[in-house]
Amino acid sequence: MLILGGTLTGCGGDGGGGSGGKVGLRFTWWGNPDRAARTEQAIKLFEKRHPDIDISTSFAGFDTYKAKLATQAAGGDAPDVMQLDYRQIDQYATSGILLDLGEHPQLRTSEIDKGLLATGVVDGKQYALPVARGTETMAYDATLWRKAGVPPPTPGWTWDDWADAMRRLAASKATEGRTGSTDPGQSEDIFEIWLRSQGKSLYTEGERLGFTADDLTRYWEWCTELRKEGAVSRAEQTTQMDGTVENTPLGRLTTVSDFNWDAPTSGYAAIVGEGLKLAPLPVGDDGTPGQYFKPSMFFGASAKTEHPEEAARFIDFLLNDKEAGAILGASRGIPANDTIRQDVLPKLEGFDQVISTYQEQFEGRLKDPPPAPPKGDTSLQGTFSRDYDQVSYERMSPREAAEDYITEAKAELRQ
Amino acid sequence: MTATATRPQDATPSASGGKRAPKRERQGAAWVFLSPWVLGAAALTLLPMAVSLYLSFTDYDMFDAPRWIGFRNYTQMFTEDPRYWRSVITTLTYVVIAVPLQLLLALAVAIALKSVRRGKGFYRSAFYAPSLLGASMSIALVWRAIFNDGGSVDNLLSGMGIDIGGWINRPGWAIMSVALLTIWQFGAPMVIFLAGLQQIPAELYEAAAVDGASWWRQFRSITIPMLSPVLFFNLVLQMIQAFQVFTPAFAVSAGKGGPADSTLVYTLYLYDRGFTASHMGYASAMAWVLLLAIGVVTAVLFRTSRAWVFYANDNNEGGR
Repeated sequence: MLILGGTLTGCGGDGGGGSGGKVGLRFTWWGNPDRAARTEQAIKLFEKRHPDIDISTSFAGFDTYKAKLATQAAGGDAPDVMQLDYRQIDQYATSGILLDLGEHPQLRTSEIDKGLLATGVVDGKQYALPVARGTETMAYDATLWRKAGVPPPTPGWTWDDWADAMRRLAASKATEGRTGSTDPGQSEDIFEIWLRSQGKSLYTEGERLGFTADDLTRYWEWCTELRKEGAVSRAEQTTQMDGTVENTPLGRLTTVSDFNWDAPTSGYAAIVGEGLKLAPLPVGDDGTPGQYFKPSMFFGASAKTEHPEEAARFIDFLLNDKEAGAILGASRGIPANDTIRQDVLPKLEGFDQVISTYQEQFEGRLKDPPPAPPKGDTSLQGTFSRDYDQVSYERMSPREAAEDYITEAKAELRQ
Repeated sequence: MTATATRPQDATPSASGGKRAPKRERQGAAWVFLSPWVLGAAALTLLPMAVSLYLSFTDYDMFDAPRWIGFRNYTQMFTEDPRYWRSVITTLTYVVIAVPLQLLLALAVAIALKSVRRGKGFYRSAFYAPSLLGASMSIALVWRAIFNDGGSVDNLLSGMGIDIGGWINRPGWAIMSVALLTIWQFGAPMVIFLAGLQQIPAELYEAAAVDGASWWRQFRSITIPMLSPVLFFNLVLQMIQAFQVFTPAFAVSAGKGGPADSTLVYTLYLYDRGFTASHMGYASAMAWVLLLAIGVVTAVLFRTSRAWVFYANDNNEGGR
């Protein structure tokens, strides 16, 4: 037993300090292979500049990542540097899992967009730093769209305009049996934009639900009508979505368009090809825009890390270094760093350029983002699509499913 | 454990032979040899079980300290959670479909292999292979691909004019594809059946054949009764495993239990509550209910076994 104990202690020492005085950092994130390849490239550059730091990484899809990180954090084994979602910041900061990054001068924040920077502050401390900002978009196959003879989407089009376009796309012979779009009923994100374009919100400032079962019923009835007309994807198609671009209906080439966040749309370009374009989301009947700029993700460090300075230096590199910015491009969204956004990004080629141009058109034209979602909301996105699954497979009426959602949401938010 | 181990000695005093160390000393040695296992079981099984029992009476989100709420998790489960009951029904459906079919297939293949003369080893290995592979995540993912829209099974059926649009995307069909994955892994019960079949004395069949009994008659009156202890063993074992099915349902539904909750088996819902929704207390309560339920079903099976399981030794013992 004694020998065993000794070996274990030896291992612990090695893992923390590294052999030959090397400092080891663990960095985890969620994302796709493209983001992984670019991140690895940036890390290589960092390790070349800091031969004394060794960074080990791992990544997964968002759902898996979220569950794994929560388990690690609960066990006191959070990675040194971690990518975080807007919805996680509050919980992780108040539970003492995150390091106060404001105390580390190695980490410069002067070039980070002031509005975004504030989203990483909890109780007056900078627990997390925003990496990038994102906004929703409609990615579509412009070639097919033109062939079908449907007028192209314009900024300021309404939800009715959008629905008409979807009907015409689905009816056209040129689209060869594809539907117009993914059924938006499964997406809480799109529902939020739909609500906002009518002057409502998912949550109120007081962390209560900002909509009623009537609102949700209306939304799901509208989606159901479109689904039954064949304008949007069938239940069998919609249910295959798992958070990756490849398994969306557009990624499987069974629709002409998809709503998604702008950063991952480069994945569609690889499947659809040259014809892929991005269009703004529809607005309300009075022209109220629903979409908004959201901090797409954050970096934070573990409060228990043995190397807070190195962790801070690494985050600084990912956020502020121009060379790193050129490698990472828009793989995590349009960078929150003003200099990189204005100087580095326009020089990039390929789809980073398209996303950058897409966001430019909204500069100063969107409404303020909603406050950070309240604690307890984490599982509600899943509840939303699951409840709609019951609607699209016709096992529940929109009204029943909406009531179910409201009940569960209230329980989760402890109201 | 000690009780069962010592009983034969007490019961048959005449069976002793040679000198033995005093009982206490022998037990001491036993504990020393058992210590790695005992320590492991205590630290890795009993302690977590005790903690999970405690957590089942708390509201615990993995971040804040657990808060004692008494039987609240249990009452919520039974009275306020329709998804819980959907997951119970899904699991029962799965058990009722998968276990009998798997055992039937295992028995059929075992009987067929018993009479194979050449290449016995090869066939046994070949039929056993899925059991070695099947438990892995990668096979479950392949399964998902095969039964998905555009997968090989779907294409084959479409070619025959049956267009389902992928088994895993149709409620009702999805759980069948999960059950098929389990049935396909019939290797372990098959090997046990084979061993059982070889234990049946050949004289019984010879005597029956002399009396002109048909194959079916021999099967019904010799094979089944003689095999019933093995059948019972396999039934209990496979049923306990089936109640805990997780990997195939998780992989086939990409972790969500869909479409429309049709593959949301008990353990998958438990995982969803614990790790996705961060309700560890509720998940722990679910785990304890499952443990109790499996215990009850197993006890019931043991009760019924008296009526249909035939132990040849029971009759022979007196004769020896």
